[in-house]
Amino acid sequence: MTEKLQRTAIAPKNPLLNASRAGNLPHVPGIRIGDYIFLSGMVPVDPATGERSHGPIAEQVRITLANMRHMLESAGSSLERVVRVHVVLADISHMAEMDRVYREFFPTDPPARTAWSMQLRFGNGCEIECVALAG
Amino acid sequence: MSARREIIAAPAGAPDPSQRGSPPASPAVRACDFIFVSGLTAVDLQTGERVSGTTASETRVILGNLKQLLEAAGSSLDRVVKVNVLIHSMLEAPNMNEVYARFFPDPPPARTVCGARLPVGVKVIIECTALA
Repeated sequence: MTEKLQRTAIAPKNPLLNASRAGNLPHVPGIRIGDYIFLSGMVPVDPATGERSHGPIAEQVRITLANMRHMLESAGSSLERVVRVHVVLADISHMAEMDRVYREFFPTDPPARTAWSMQLRFGNGCEIECVALAG
Repeated sequence: MSARREIIAAPAGAPDPSQRGSPPASPAVRACDFIFVSGLTAVDLQTGERVSGTTASETRVILGNLKQLLEAAGSSLDRVVKVNVLIHSMLEAPNMNEVYARFFPDPPPARTVCGARLPVGVKVIIECTALA
């Protein structure tokens, strides 16, 4: 392959969901390169206010995955084009509850996934990142 | 034309996401030039049961299954580019490494090892990205 791949930053259409810009963090929400989109870790931010939303874990996972869908669709992709997901939970005992909500977003032919638990910042209960194919 | 996303079928005995009780993850997904493999835990492909052993023995089972999964998808362990290993305790890293080194060619793939909280009873999880 001789053609040089383009590297482009992507951003959510809803600016309130640009958590890295809101927090002045040294990363972009995602990068598109060739056929792939790499998203930063998505966290439960309320799309209406831009504030972190720390309700029950099911709700946090639902908000996070809905934000992921928005981010992918903003870049012309979709949840159906996701190939790999990393789910990080603050509390490993939330795994079953996370799975229950996760299935709503990936009902058939789900992407490859790894899920584990480690310390998360800002009191977030979950952080979810993915690699997807561009649209 | 949009790039193709193809689910790699689970080998017999491996957890199948369409079955109740299995995690909602395909074992692997092919996308263009790469195969993305889910974080694998130790499963006996003869019985479909989870194997609960030492960090070393779980690593051996996982990498054996990973080899089978990649080969069924037309790839192989020597086409792996990046591995992420999660272990329940970093003190176990040498035990994992000893087994791990036997599975990969020289030079082995890029790799990250991380100590993390894993689901109950799981000592090791290994995922990778390979060339298709």
